Amino acid sequence: MASSKLRNATADPEAECVMDMSPMIDMVFLLLIFFIVNATAIIVQTDPEVAPPIAKNSIRQTDGSGRIVVNVHEDGTFTAENFNVILAGADDIEDLVKRTKERHQTLGVKSKLHLRGDKDTVFKYSRTAIRAAAMAGVDQVVFGVFVREP
Amino acid sequence: MARHKKYETAEEPDPALDISSLIDVCFLLLIYFLVTSTITPRETDLGMALPAANPTAEQPVIDPMFIRIEPSGAIYTGIGAGQQPMDSDTSVRELPLLNGQLELYSSAAKAADSKPLVQIYADSNATQQRVIDVLNALAGVNITSVTFTDLID
Repeated sequence: MASSKLRNATADPEAECVMDMSPMIDMVFLLLIFFIVNATAIIVQTDPEVAPPIAKNSIRQTDGSGRIVVNVHEDGTFTAENFNVILAGADDIEDLVKRTKERHQTLGVKSKLHLRGDKDTVFKYSRTAIRAAAMAGVDQVVFGVFVREP
Repeated sequence: MARHKKYETAEEPDPALDISSLIDVCFLLLIYFLVTSTITPRETDLGMALPAANPTAEQPVIDPMFIRIEPSGAIYTGIGAGQQPMDSDTSVRELPLLNGQLELYSSAAKAADSKPLVQIYADSNATQQRVIDVLNALAGVNITSVTFTDLID
């Protein structure tokens, strides 16, 4: 009798194994919300070897357009936004700023120097970058800082 | 009739898959990622306009305030005999003495209907953090027009 019932059940194409998906969907949503909350919009690519200083009165980055990023390392090495590109000195920075400024002008965007100086570097290196940008015609400077200790 | 009823009650329930172990693993992974993840602070902006790059013929109504930053991190305001020592503790990010001076200067500039302008002479060996401390104090009193005096060769 039992074997015939089993046979009938397996032969029935309507009989399906239903899995309750709702807990898994709950979990997926929970993970999604967690990652959305944790995610930060990248305004500029940051060189991880540069530790910016702290400034409590700084404001949150909102607009990434028009930024010409120059990283100043602790030892005085300059790098561009793509931190694999090493800028040898003031001339390279001036060239970079001029080229990027021209590109921004075609897009109708005002250029500004985004200076990411390491907190322990001496200011003369930052001044070199500011001076080079000024020579290239960019007088707006944005210092990349942290609002609190990381 | 009785035979028919007996047949209905004997029908087996639908097969169900126990997914409680899956939920256990998901929770375990979630807790692992929550514990191990670190929330990195977002980088923020401290914006300044440097009028030295675009000098104008216009003379400011009020004299610019002069700030000097020493390699040791000591801060002075004024020039010559009028020079006053300000904050010198480099381990402290707040600059209460400089803030007081800046507030007075900013109020005077507002009263004169002029834009407050600050000239900074930062020694070549002053640290970036110390210069940022001063710029942070300026941003605190809404002074965004700064000249680094030695930018002009």
